[in-house]
Amino acid sequence: MNNMTRRAFLKASGIGMAILGTGGLSSFAAGTKGRRVVVIGGGWGGATAAKYVRLADPSIEVTLLDPNKQFISCPFSNLVLSGVESIKRLTIRYDSLRKHGMRIRHEAATAIEPDKKRVRVGNDYLEYDRLVVSPGIDFQWDQVEGLEAAKDKVLHAWKAGPQTVELAKQLQAIPDGGVFVLAVPLAAFRCPPGPYERACQVAWYLKNKKPRSKLIVLDANKDIVSKGGLFKAAWKDYPNLEYRPASKVEKIDTSDREVTTEIGDKVKYDVINLIPPQRAGAIAVQADLVGADKRWCEVDHVTYESVKHKNIHVVGDSTIGLPVPKSGNVANAMGKICAVAVAHLLNDKEVPPMPPGNTCYSWVNDKEAIAVVNSYKIENRKVVQIEQKLTPHKSVAVAQNSLAWRTSIWNDILG
Amino acid sequence: MRKSLSLSVFLTAFGLMLLTLSADAGPLDSPGASNALVCSACHGFGGNSPGSTVPILAGMSPAYFKKAIQDYAEGKRPSPEMEPYSKYVLQSGLDEIAAYFAEQKKLPPRLKPDPNAVKRGMAIAAQCTVCHNPRGEGDPERGFPDLRGQPAGYLEAQTALLKEDKRKLQDAMLDDLKKKLLKRLSNRNIADVAAYYSSLK
Repeated sequence: MNNMTRRAFLKASGIGMAILGTGGLSSFAAGTKGRRVVVIGGGWGGATAAKYVRLADPSIEVTLLDPNKQFISCPFSNLVLSGVESIKRLTIRYDSLRKHGMRIRHEAATAIEPDKKRVRVGNDYLEYDRLVVSPGIDFQWDQVEGLEAAKDKVLHAWKAGPQTVELAKQLQAIPDGGVFVLAVPLAAFRCPPGPYERACQVAWYLKNKKPRSKLIVLDANKDIVSKGGLFKAAWKDYPNLEYRPASKVEKIDTSDREVTTEIGDKVKYDVINLIPPQRAGAIAVQADLVGADKRWCEVDHVTYESVKHKNIHVVGDSTIGLPVPKSGNVANAMGKICAVAVAHLLNDKEVPPMPPGNTCYSWVNDKEAIAVVNSYKIENRKVVQIEQKLTPHKSVAVAQNSLAWRTSIWNDILG
Repeated sequence: MRKSLSLSVFLTAFGLMLLTLSADAGPLDSPGASNALVCSACHGFGGNSPGSTVPILAGMSPAYFKKAIQDYAEGKRPSPEMEPYSKYVLQSGLDEIAAYFAEQKKLPPRLKPDPNAVKRGMAIAAQCTVCHNPRGEGDPERGFPDLRGQPAGYLEAQTALLKEDKRKLQDAMLDDLKKKLLKRLSNRNIADVAAYYSSLK
């Protein structure tokens, strides 16, 4: 603490001189070298990182880039499909973040130049001393035959927003007796329990509103990826849900309204929700932050600095190699840890080891939820799990906790 | 010239003052603060939880914080969330995290309890004073929590756990007493008394 204060004081004296020389407070940031952080992506990881860099050291200049004007929460967006939640309540403006003294530009970063330490935004370049990349996921359309051409009408709804609302409409419009097919990709993908929570919400809706309809879940995985026992128990309430494991969808034919799985099964649908295989957000692939598989980004477990490029940190769903799920809670934790690490590095201080945590709720109907919680430690500079705990069964109390969680974590990201 | 020099000196001094203030260590430059980062997802920044069912840790007595963490870790208090996280706290520095939260300024809960529930709760609370003292301040050093200004949802959920005997008190006599007292309370009574203590400062 003393060390930091002295450093801050020395730095401040230097800045005091800079003010004299350049004639005003506004120029202090531009005249300060080694103090610029650019954050790409204003989701759970990026917005958190931008805020916490400013909290950790308010003398660091922060620019947050995201083309979206509003934040829409992926957690709870499955409940929009069933009408249990509205998209409006999951939509939050970025305004409050500005009070932390950062610049927010609603533009996309189109390229990263690691050698020149700059990011291209439109016709402009933004220079950085440390870059935080939190681009979430993008889809591998080419992994399913016929999907590339049909991607505008075959919805994923795996990034909360217009597709969520559109899929809810398609579900509502399904004829009673119709078939809704939900296709789950092979892990790893964003939000491991997400597809199974979605299955609950769709099945709950159909059971109540279209009792003759049916949901078929075609899961590329051999079994439910997360909270398996709890989901199976919850599915006992849904005789209208047919779960088919090891049924990777390899082909879609939108004119016949039919998908084909790897074992040759052909399944007709009235509404299809195909969640495609995923990889790190496009900018991370383009900037060569991904590994040999061209999918995910490997990072240092203490600083989140890319193993491929110095001064570039990656957080959130784009990362791989840590024993953590691709969840919103983990992205938020990574954002905070990375921000504090970046502030330490920019002050030439050793970064303390800070492990993430994971709290993850899934709603299994209109009022009950289940949860999984993981705690971690750092051992030899690697994240290691301490414990995983599941709720014993579905309950209203857990659902209430999830509402407290979302109030708090949205505030932690954007407040 | 002299004038502009003194103006410069003034500006420098002013700038210095501003910047030493703003460039001060920041709120996260201590082991307790960095280890507590992960907690803010649910407990809010600095432990000022904005949600209804999550307790406010800001300003909490370190003795009581440590007791709670130990109890969660040993399974004496059931919580799917806190059982794993309590082990994280124990491994990363219980004393430092307890000290960090104790130093934070406590804000009132964001959700204001219903005034009618508060009124009804006040009448019921008379029987709680034996342990929690007349104003709900308890005696955290001795393990009796300060109930004032905690979110009502949290107080209600914990009271329900105590009533259902899913959360036991270490002292057998006290455990017996709480069972007898809580058995007489309906769910509505519990919600009211939680609202009352939540409204206290």
